Amino acid sequence: MKKKQDKSRKNKAAPLLLFIIAVFCILGTVVFSVARKISKEMSASAIQNLSESLELMKGTIEAILLKEAEFQQLMAQELVNIDNPEEFIQTYNRNQTMVRITLILSGQTEGISNTGEVLSESELDFSSGKMVDGLPISQSYINHMGTWAYSMKCPVVKDGKDMGTLYVEYIYDTFDKSLPDGFYNGRAYLYIMDAKSERLVLKPKGMGERSAGHLNLNDFYRANNIWEQDLREAVSECVKNGENILFYHNIRGKNSLNYMWALNEGSLYLIGYVPIEAIQQEGTTVNQNILVVVLVMLTAFFLCCMLYYLNQRQQIKIRKEREKEREIHNQQLAEALQAAQIASNSKTTFLSNMSHDIRTPMNAVLGFTTLLSKDAENVEKVREYTKKITASGQHLLSLINDILDVSKIESGKVVLTVEEFTLNDLVSSVDAIIRPMAREKEQEFHVEVTGIQHEYLLGDKTRINQILINLLSNAVKYTPEGGNIWFRMIGLKQRSSQYEHIRIEVEDNGYGMTPEYLKTIFDAFTRAENSTTNKVQGTGLGMAITKNIVELMGGSIDVFSEVNKGSIFKVELEFRIPEGHANKKFWEERGISRILAVDPDMECCKNIQMLMKDAGVMADIASCPEDAMRFLDGKDKGYHMVLLDWNLAHMDGIQFIKKIREALPVAVPILFLSDHGSEGMEEALKIENTGILAKPFFVSACKEKIAEMQSKSGEEDALGDVKEENLEGLYFLAAEDNMINAEILKEVLSMEKAGCEVVENGQLAVERFTSAKEDEFDAILMDVQMPVMNGYEATRAIRALSRKDAGKIPIIAMTANAFAEDEKAALAAGMNVHLPKPIDIELLKKVIRECTRKE
Amino acid sequence: MKNRIKDLKKIAVVCLAVFALFSMAACAGGEESGKNLLTNKEDDRKIVNMFSPMEKTQPDVENVARSASDKTVIMAEEKQNVKMEYITYTAEDYQDKTYDEVCLDRARNNMDDIYLLNPDTIQALGEEGRLMDLSGLDCAKNLRDVIKTANTIDGKLVAIPQEVVAYGMFVNKDMFDEYDLELPETPEDFLECCKVFKKNGIETPVGANRWWLETFVLAQAYADLYNGGDTEKEIAELNSGKRKYSDYMRPGFEFLQELIDKGYIDAKTAYTYEAIDGEGPDFMAQKTPIVIAYWGAANTDTAYGDTKFELQVIGFPTKRGQMPVLPMTGFAVGANAEHAEDAMRALDTMLSDEALQVYTETNKVISPSKNVEVDCVPALKPLNDKIKENVYVLATNASMKVEQWGNTCLIVRNLLNGATVDECMEEFDKLQEESLKK
Repeated sequence: MKKKQDKSRKNKAAPLLLFIIAVFCILGTVVFSVARKISKEMSASAIQNLSESLELMKGTIEAILLKEAEFQQLMAQELVNIDNPEEFIQTYNRNQTMVRITLILSGQTEGISNTGEVLSESELDFSSGKMVDGLPISQSYINHMGTWAYSMKCPVVKDGKDMGTLYVEYIYDTFDKSLPDGFYNGRAYLYIMDAKSERLVLKPKGMGERSAGHLNLNDFYRANNIWEQDLREAVSECVKNGENILFYHNIRGKNSLNYMWALNEGSLYLIGYVPIEAIQQEGTTVNQNILVVVLVMLTAFFLCCMLYYLNQRQQIKIRKEREKEREIHNQQLAEALQAAQIASNSKTTFLSNMSHDIRTPMNAVLGFTTLLSKDAENVEKVREYTKKITASGQHLLSLINDILDVSKIESGKVVLTVEEFTLNDLVSSVDAIIRPMAREKEQEFHVEVTGIQHEYLLGDKTRINQILINLLSNAVKYTPEGGNIWFRMIGLKQRSSQYEHIRIEVEDNGYGMTPEYLKTIFDAFTRAENSTTNKVQGTGLGMAITKNIVELMGGSIDVFSEVNKGSIFKVELEFRIPEGHANKKFWEERGISRILAVDPDMECCKNIQMLMKDAGVMADIASCPEDAMRFLDGKDKGYHMVLLDWNLAHMDGIQFIKKIREALPVAVPILFLSDHGSEGMEEALKIENTGILAKPFFVSACKEKIAEMQSKSGEEDALGDVKEENLEGLYFLAAEDNMINAEILKEVLSMEKAGCEVVENGQLAVERFTSAKEDEFDAILMDVQMPVMNGYEATRAIRALSRKDAGKIPIIAMTANAFAEDEKAALAAGMNVHLPKPIDIELLKKVIRECTRKE
Repeated sequence: MKNRIKDLKKIAVVCLAVFALFSMAACAGGEESGKNLLTNKEDDRKIVNMFSPMEKTQPDVENVARSASDKTVIMAEEKQNVKMEYITYTAEDYQDKTYDEVCLDRARNNMDDIYLLNPDTIQALGEEGRLMDLSGLDCAKNLRDVIKTANTIDGKLVAIPQEVVAYGMFVNKDMFDEYDLELPETPEDFLECCKVFKKNGIETPVGANRWWLETFVLAQAYADLYNGGDTEKEIAELNSGKRKYSDYMRPGFEFLQELIDKGYIDAKTAYTYEAIDGEGPDFMAQKTPIVIAYWGAANTDTAYGDTKFELQVIGFPTKRGQMPVLPMTGFAVGANAEHAEDAMRALDTMLSDEALQVYTETNKVISPSKNVEVDCVPALKPLNDKIKENVYVLATNASMKVEQWGNTCLIVRNLLNGATVDECMEEFDKLQEESLKK
């Protein structure tokens, strides 16, 4: 498409370019022809002007010659009437025009001139035959004054009789005054040449006029490099015929117009040259001006073109940007539409799934209740049915919880509750849930903890737990029986000393996932479906929830999977390390500062060493019994505790354990690190001051174990508590607007031999409590959403009462508002505990017991 | 990118604004009606006519001497607010009037203001009283004595040159080396050299023209007079008739005759040859190993300034060794010149130390001013060394009653034209007799 557009643009540009070139060619041709025409016309005009000027000079010089001749004729006539003409002549003073006057009488060859010199007729050469007004004119010569001159002779005739001849000598310098001063601004050169002798008899003056070429025509040719024979012959021919000639020739680097203008029928010539640039000055100026105008116009045109081009480019750029934006927008819209469609499809699918998933347990509940009503007499069946109804109810509840979780996360309402927790608790609780599930499916569940430096951390334990349970329960779900599941917790290099950087890996060798599914695994409302997994129940929200929580915690989650090979999920999280923890104090109080850890797995040993170091306890590590004994038999027998891998410990029965026991004082505890509970350890545990510590090793677990071993009465106390777990004899005030729930509550409490008074709203609860005697109620069970007055307000009202027990009486929130913020709100209102509905009877019992015991 | 486009737009707008401004400026103004469109202001510069020789050869080559002179003329025009107008002449051939003849005519008819004169015309016109006394000019105070001696007539300094012209023999050193010849010191050496050249197929060893062979003779004639003799006394005796010019001249003429007789000089061609024009081409083409010329010819490309061989300029061979010959040319002002006063001012500038410095540097010659001195070209070094040692012969001496330069030239021409040495000597005797009558 783009190529097509480019091609189309090129196709449009080419004719335009050709058109512009054509316009410029035409313009250039027009300008050139106009300039040429102007030049030609100017040249013709200049030649015309030059010719006219030369003609004018010719006229002037000929007029001078004519006047000279006329005056000479007058003188000759005058002489006729004078008695002694020779004497008369000698009285003539020389003037600037007639420099010598001589009369040679008839029959004589010489005469005395007015200068006193004798002039012989033979001295003058009249052979050219040229005349001025009928008087013969001589060839030019250097006269007695050292300047070029000519003479004219005029017969003196008296009564028809020839008296003699009057010779008058004139100098060419006279003409100089009649010629223009600075012809063509002094750029043109003017000479007068004697035609017969070809001598230059009048030359320019001024600076530099001593240059060569002033002697004769040949010298002129030579000085000006006029060597063309044909041209010289043409000139000679013209001179011979007394004709004018104009020709172009380069004179000293300048193209010049050379002229030879005949004077007095060719006896003399005005010769010279003028550079073309001097005579075509106007033409050149006009052409230069035209050129300037054209250049200015062209520049203006190109400037306009440039502006237009820049503007166009800008427009195109803006248009392209807009198009691009539009494309992006369209693409976004398409993507949004697609996403919406997918979401819609997903939600449709989800609803369909939900419908199926909800209906299935609901069907079970309703079906079994129907069966229950029929088989109410049969205790066994009743028990079986209620068990199944409970299971279906539990499944329904988890479904609802997940849906609510997703909607909360998506609406950004999830708030993390950051509190201190130990990794031990986390791993233990997860292990407690997952291991039985795995065992059910005959799967091996491996827990590995490595590289953790700090065990006590700050974070939302519940949500982390949720992440782990989601990942691990999925691993169990999607791994066939007999498979393996690995749960690894790896300490990574800290980015900041204040944070523990942990990677959690959950790996299985189960069904695996297709690459297509991997792309959408973290989207809500998707579920891997195939013939195998269809049997698996689930909302398809677990992974979306997991990813959202991880991101909420500022971490990342990645998944790698291959079909039929298994999957691995990697979650990286950072947890803040709490300050001033009393970890070290415990060990100091118990005098434990040095321990021995014996495990063939050196990784495990190092882990122990690292964790204990953080607790301020130095740990020696041994990988085999021999090493361990060497440590124990060493000079420094100051071990305060021994951690012994169970697999290593019972390799040769319990002999090794006994040896250790003997090597140490009885007060020093020996703890067996075990993967699989306490099976087969009975005999070993009979040895004094020994105990079991589940792997992986955690300091907190170890602490608990030490504390437990040091006070055996703890166990007895715990047993006592269990005995007290019934509510017999207690009496409660319950605020519950839902009659069914109220009835259930009543029934449950009556089963526990406890009493209950139910009121319908908060207001009534407040009134009832106000009117009640002191210690009439052991606790108040408060619903939150109620008419007239809600649970929070009622609690606040009760707590505000002036009664003695108003502040002490336990108020337990029992509400369907099950979110964390609801719990916060409940506690803020003054309630003691928050129990989400549906009520877990065991939990309720435990909570009530705790509250009443505190009281 | 956006900024670049903005800049380009700004530039374009500025350019258009400038064009608009120019267009408006071009449209401004118009025909000025009611005003005289002509400028009647005349050139108020005074005219000074200067008569000097005309260049005839090689028009496209720069004549250094003339360029140097032109520079001083420009200086005079600028400083004295005058306009120098050149009037030039040169003879087309030997039949034409010579430059000197025309000079005399023009000076006698007061045609010009300043003349560039040769020694004989200086003496002739000076004796006729047609030249102004230049001794009052500022430039005259700095002149070397030799100038004053040569150009003072009847107590008047009538001409001042822009350079001390020294004549010598221009030799092709390469050719001398080719035949293992030493540069000649004496007439005998010279004859031997010519003999060798002739023997080796060089038809005419000495290139000559109708003007400058006199230097050869004068060197022989007055080598003793100016170098070792009692110059003033001898001149006084010549002027009184006690001594004869012909006695001085004879050895030179005889020597010249011998050279002609032996075919070392072609008298016929020499008689018709113009200076440099005639003998120059053969010398440049290395057909002739020796010519006679003046100092400046070694500096200018129009003469012998650009040879393809090693050029050396030496003095003429005499019994006293190599001898330069110094004729005194000079600028003179016509006594009755139309613009004599302006001409004197112009000449004072042209001959000032400042102008002579420019002239001398351009032309690489010996300056007439005591205050100006520049290095000469290497070819001239032998000649310059002699002059510096005060070894030279004056070709003109205004204190001699018989003019030497012009007369000797004419009598040498007679010799070239076939006259015998005795006939030539008779001419000198005649001239001496005439001078004694004055």
